[in-house]
Amino acid sequence: MQSIRSTHLGTHGFVKYIALAMISARSNFAYFGEICGRQLFLAVILYIFLRLWKVTYAHCGVEQMAGLSLSQMLWYLTATEAIILSSSPISTIVDEDVRTGALAIQLIRPTPYPLYKFALYMGERYLRLIANFAVGTIICLVLAREISITAQGIFALSLALPLAITLDFLGNFLVGLGAFWLENTSGILFIYSKFLMVLGGMLIPLDLLPKPYAELTKILPFASIVYGPAKQLVHPCGEELVHVLVLQTTWILVFSLIVWQVYNLALKRIAANGG
Amino acid sequence: MVISAKKLSKTFVVNKRDGWRSHKTEVLAVDSIDLSIEQGAAVALIGPNGAGKSTTIKMLTGILHPTAGTAAVLGLVPWRDRTRLAYEIGAVFGQRSQLWYHLPPEDSFDLLSRIYNLDRKQYKQQRDMLIERFGLVPFLNTPVRKLSLGQRMRAEIAASLLHRPRLLFLDEPTIGVDVVARQELRDLIKEWNQQDGVTVLITSHDAGDIEHVAQRVLVVNHGQIVLDDKLANMRRQYLDTKVVSARFHGEHKMTELPGVKILKMGNYAMKLEVATDLISIETVVKAILDLGTIADISIEDPPLEEVIAHIYSRPAGSNGHSSTMQES
Repeated sequence: MQSIRSTHLGTHGFVKYIALAMISARSNFAYFGEICGRQLFLAVILYIFLRLWKVTYAHCGVEQMAGLSLSQMLWYLTATEAIILSSSPISTIVDEDVRTGALAIQLIRPTPYPLYKFALYMGERYLRLIANFAVGTIICLVLAREISITAQGIFALSLALPLAITLDFLGNFLVGLGAFWLENTSGILFIYSKFLMVLGGMLIPLDLLPKPYAELTKILPFASIVYGPAKQLVHPCGEELVHVLVLQTTWILVFSLIVWQVYNLALKRIAANGG
Repeated sequence: MVISAKKLSKTFVVNKRDGWRSHKTEVLAVDSIDLSIEQGAAVALIGPNGAGKSTTIKMLTGILHPTAGTAAVLGLVPWRDRTRLAYEIGAVFGQRSQLWYHLPPEDSFDLLSRIYNLDRKQYKQQRDMLIERFGLVPFLNTPVRKLSLGQRMRAEIAASLLHRPRLLFLDEPTIGVDVVARQELRDLIKEWNQQDGVTVLITSHDAGDIEHVAQRVLVVNHGQIVLDDKLANMRRQYLDTKVVSARFHGEHKMTELPGVKILKMGNYAMKLEVATDLISIETVVKAILDLGTIADISIEDPPLEEVIAHIYSRPAGSNGHSSTMQES
């Protein structure tokens, strides 16, 4: 039987991942109720935190905190919540693939499993990010009554966000691969997600921490996922943007290397016995 | 040879808990099997649960690394050249779906065409031909979650053939499927094997799948190939019995004969199991003819399930027929 593979592999290699991302996004539309539920949750959370920050600014009687005005702080929170709540349960999916043996189906495809999952994840996550930013923007406009983000901020976010969610994917994927060695990875996932919220600067900008802690947390990968992109949205700065992008790229390289090594070790441990 | 394996073995390390303590135990899933399958063959790999069938298939598709031994599938080492091999093989695991649950089969086909880097024009020709041959038109645009199991399995097998694989692995493709859909699936697999020359390696617990699809049977038990033979030979050599059924115009009475077991007895019909090593078929037929006017008589091999059960029931290590029984 003659193969019908295309000989133009250069572009097709990339096209297949775009197709995977698109189908993932389409498939996630099937969970329309879940998307609406998430938006409602985001709206409630944002409303509470935005009111809290309003009270805090009023109580302290200051114009700025950590270099951000109240309006900027509200937009910062909108961005961090949108990023955190767009998270895809990729570690749980990988964990289940390993435990149920569904990983076997993926391994007989001419697409490396991590890249396959990455493409699906990007489709799903971008869909959620768009929905979150849309709802977040409406709530922020209602409460802040001010658009304190600029075109430069949006441009900076558009550069930092893809790297941020790529890094988050690698962290989550690594946790999921833990299923090859551990009986339960939910504990590690819990710690990872809490670190992301606290050390990533979801609730308060890292600049509000004491200086030594702020400096330390800013170089951790968690800050590259949440704080870096969100801060660039409300307070874009060319020099800082370069610093954020370099840090993100460095962490992506480090995590990619770790994921690659762990994945290759894991492949030799596959025990997909039974039908 | 499409598939060849030598001394292929796989050992799993299993953690066993004993109260607070846990200790590791090695389980030998596949025990040094030798195997060769030629181009265009349809081979059934059968065995009881835990015999090592799926583990063997997973090593041959490159999913699992063997503990020892070598294998070549279409000239490639499966676990080393897994990605290259993926373009040449198709696989259906009956208990796992490769289709997108919330999307119609057509979308999954399109995605698979991208994953396999298929030429757009040729892909569309192949897809349209598969849609027609597998009768997918009525549910092509229905989300997979709304399909019956039979419809889903037809779409699954069609999906596995989109990239025109030379070798098709089918791991329990008819599991849970109703009788009519099962027959349709068997016919489709057989048609693809005979008309398009795709080599088929199928595992199933259903004797009907084996009878309809395979020409050759490999019986795996305790991780070893205990029988490698043509289907017809397997029946003849593994049970020295025949089933004789007769219907009479009038009433009759059968007398007992050595080596003959009465399976069913009515006033106008009977069904007997004849041990051909104790008594010849000719003697039994003559005895039946002497009983009265015959309306119908048939001599059949015993059901395949019985042959398989007989082979499974043999203790480990009694694999005297391994690989040597195949006749040309």
